[in-house]
Amino acid sequence: MIKKIMVCACLIPFLAGVCTAEVWKAPDQEQARERAKETVPFIKEYKDDCQISRRICLMDAGISLDDVSTVYFLLDSPIIKEREDHYEPVRFAHKRHAALVDDCSKCHHFRPKDEDALETTRCSACHQDSFNPEYPERIGLKAAYHQQCMECHQQEAKGPVDCTGCHLKHVPDHKELVKLPDNPDPIQVTQACLECHDTQGEDMLKTAHWLWRGPSPYTTGHRKDILHGKGTTALNNF
Amino acid sequence: MTHAAQPLKRPLWTPGVLVMLVFMFAGAVAIIARFTGGIGYVTNLTNARPWGIWVGIDVATGVALAAGGFTTAALAHIFGRHYYEPVTRPALLTAVLGYTFVVIGLLVDIGRSWAIWKPMFYWNFNSVLFEVAMCVMIYLTVLYIEFLPIVAEQFKGRVNLPGILSGLNRLVDGFLQTADRILGKVMWVFIILGVVLSCMHQSSLGSLMLVAPTKLHPLWYTPILPLLFLTSAIAVGYPMVVFETTLATASFKLDSEVKILAPLTKITIFLLGFYMVLKIGDMGVRGTWIYLLDGTYQTNSFLVELLFGVMIPWIMLLFKPVRQSARGVFTAAALIVGGVVLNRVNVFIVGYRSPLTENGYFPAPSEILVTLGLIATLMFIYRVVVTYLPVLQAPKEVSS
Amino acid sequence: MQITRRHFFGVMGAAGASVAVRPPTGHAWQSKAPPDPFGCLVDLTRCVGCRKCEEACAEVNGLPEPERVNCQCTIFEKDRRPDHDAYTVVNRYYTGKVDEFDKPVPTYAKVQCMHCQDPACVSACIVGALTKDETGTVRYDVTRCIGCRYCMVACPFEIPAYEYHDPITPKVMKCTFCYDRISKQGGVPGCATICPTEAITFGRRETLLEVAKKRLKENPARYLPHIYGEKEVGGTSWMYLSGVPFEQVNLPALPETPSPKLSETVQHSLFTYLWSPILLFGVLGGLMAWFNKNDNPPDKGGA
Repeated sequence: MIKKIMVCACLIPFLAGVCTAEVWKAPDQEQARERAKETVPFIKEYKDDCQISRRICLMDAGISLDDVSTVYFLLDSPIIKEREDHYEPVRFAHKRHAALVDDCSKCHHFRPKDEDALETTRCSACHQDSFNPEYPERIGLKAAYHQQCMECHQQEAKGPVDCTGCHLKHVPDHKELVKLPDNPDPIQVTQACLECHDTQGEDMLKTAHWLWRGPSPYTTGHRKDILHGKGTTALNNF
Repeated sequence: MTHAAQPLKRPLWTPGVLVMLVFMFAGAVAIIARFTGGIGYVTNLTNARPWGIWVGIDVATGVALAAGGFTTAALAHIFGRHYYEPVTRPALLTAVLGYTFVVIGLLVDIGRSWAIWKPMFYWNFNSVLFEVAMCVMIYLTVLYIEFLPIVAEQFKGRVNLPGILSGLNRLVDGFLQTADRILGKVMWVFIILGVVLSCMHQSSLGSLMLVAPTKLHPLWYTPILPLLFLTSAIAVGYPMVVFETTLATASFKLDSEVKILAPLTKITIFLLGFYMVLKIGDMGVRGTWIYLLDGTYQTNSFLVELLFGVMIPWIMLLFKPVRQSARGVFTAAALIVGGVVLNRVNVFIVGYRSPLTENGYFPAPSEILVTLGLIATLMFIYRVVVTYLPVLQAPKEVSS
Repeated sequence: MQITRRHFFGVMGAAGASVAVRPPTGHAWQSKAPPDPFGCLVDLTRCVGCRKCEEACAEVNGLPEPERVNCQCTIFEKDRRPDHDAYTVVNRYYTGKVDEFDKPVPTYAKVQCMHCQDPACVSACIVGALTKDETGTVRYDVTRCIGCRYCMVACPFEIPAYEYHDPITPKVMKCTFCYDRISKQGGVPGCATICPTEAITFGRRETLLEVAKKRLKENPARYLPHIYGEKEVGGTSWMYLSGVPFEQVNLPALPETPSPKLSETVQHSLFTYLWSPILLFGVLGGLMAWFNKNDNPPDKGGA
């Protein structure tokens, strides 16, 4: 038990967020969060190009990596949330994907019929609520994300295709679940964790994090140390 | 009246009866298990195989073998062949008991036994089962009405209930007197009604599987399945009477009734022949004979049914020496009865193919015990009734 | 004696034939399918086997949580069927299809009640506990059910499951098409709502047929040119598109004739207005009077 408590104490930095009111927030994350809340008017008609002409179109327009205005998206929308809310939104590195794929038409597969509109538009402009009886063949936003991401990941044999590869399971607010004293010490925090996550505590004791005995070739400055497992060193072992 | 049926004045508790009691007890235990642990606890039924021997044997076969009741009634009463009257009473008793146990079997088999009254109020005219249920229900009532005069004959004027019930003696006696008097005048209605209802539900029992064209093996699935069920029920009626009367007379050491039974077998040649022609003709018309030699257990079961249950006994009956020997008649009758039993089992169990799940069904021991227990109870009650009521033709030395 | 016996044979034959042969007045069978039902189109090429539909179904219908709910691996090792604990299950099939690395590609198939246009179970149910609703739903009313399991015998898709463990009040269990949801404006079944890839498309059956045809036309290489459920057993509300043969994903090849057609035709042509029993009663009554005219008034029954 004491061992387990010690182990889980290393998770304190995470829990600290639960206890302290003022937290630092990542500005790009906040920006993405705000953007994900927006909804845009539904684009009813699109230009039905085949993918090759679409690609040529985009190349003709001279769109390149530099035009990627938003680096990072949270794939989330009130459109999806309205029906169900099971998973945390996926964090999507837009620019990174654009650089890797090097073909905007893979995702921006159609453009609005309106000639004045921008060449590329966000997914949620065309894909909104599912099963719209007026546009029965138009898939909903959630399905559009999943089909687009998974199909490509499968084709390229790269990137996750299972649920938790992209999503975090909806994490409940632990402030409601755990009651801690005002200034908890590490042991108290770990104890609170283990009240529910006892299997994780057991599992930890069987991993290399705990059991490691031997050289640590990738740990800068400690390459020759052989006692790096948490079970053997005083570092992080409260 | 050319005959005089009398109660058998013989001891009831013979060793055979005690064996029956053992089966009855085992069956009762299995039934208690079914009503405490659920159907799944005592049977091998699954979602892919919703009907087992409780439907295939207890209900379908029970109904088929009780056909002797209406075929003899039709012969003796409607077609005026009073010569056959000695066998109408045992046949009627078999029918009464047979249908009673069909209902008891159903009560065990259906999941919500307490809801068995619901078809009387919620009608689905598209359902074959609805029609079967209605007919069986009414026919059972008709059978009891037909049987009432036999009870009246025995107890009229000498009702003597034991203990505190003796206060009801006059009431019961009055009921019997009145019933006997009224029924004597209107019995013809019930006799015809019995035949009509039998024709209806015997055939509809075959229609039951028509709703599942993909699930019954093509050797049995045919649009004329109801007609085959009706003709086979009519064909098995007299052989069943022969079968049970022979067993009863042998068991009670009564005079053999081959004299009466022999002409029945001649009628059977025609009736069974008709069924055989239909069955083989149907196979030819639909071209299902291509399955005959594919060696699956279903096909083999069909071959056994057709050869040993229909063709061989039919050929046997064509020969006069067979028809005139008690043993020959009995063997042929037993084969026909077995053939119809196998037919019902084939249609409801062997020929049933679950479309997706491979499901070899064989009844669980407790499932078999329930069926055996019900049959044993039926035989026991038959024995009790013939012992105390005037059903069987009395032996010569006692009859006057 | 000879003559009368021959007579008797003839009469029996005639009676049998009159019961068996359909009268010329018999009505032609008509489908009782609702005019504009809802439906679902399951696109097996889109299904990724996440089993979220199982989870949503259990939640919406108050069923126990599916077996190993987050497992997308070992759970597929056995072929599962809907049962009393699950109205729908997803199975994985390796049909011999391989990708460009010669790795076998699985096909996942969700299975549930097909909500037939002319359901065999509805025709079979002795008490009318099963009904086909205007929405297309095949609904089950437990208050009428007697537990005869004839619906299970009749169903060509082997769908209705039974609570065999319940001794007194067992129920028939099958997909409800989330009737409480879809009967409200804008309602969608639980499984279709949660499906991440929209492998389940919900809508009016007619619309879905158009959508399906459009998909077949636009992606002929992706699909087999067949909409399973468009015509099978007279059409079903749930329909499937697939890239592999339907028999290989446990969707049986079925005739286009609605299952209840033959049995209902036989029943109704024989028993409309009870004409055949009444006729038979009359014929037998006449015969009885004829054969017994020399006797005393009809003899005592049972004797």
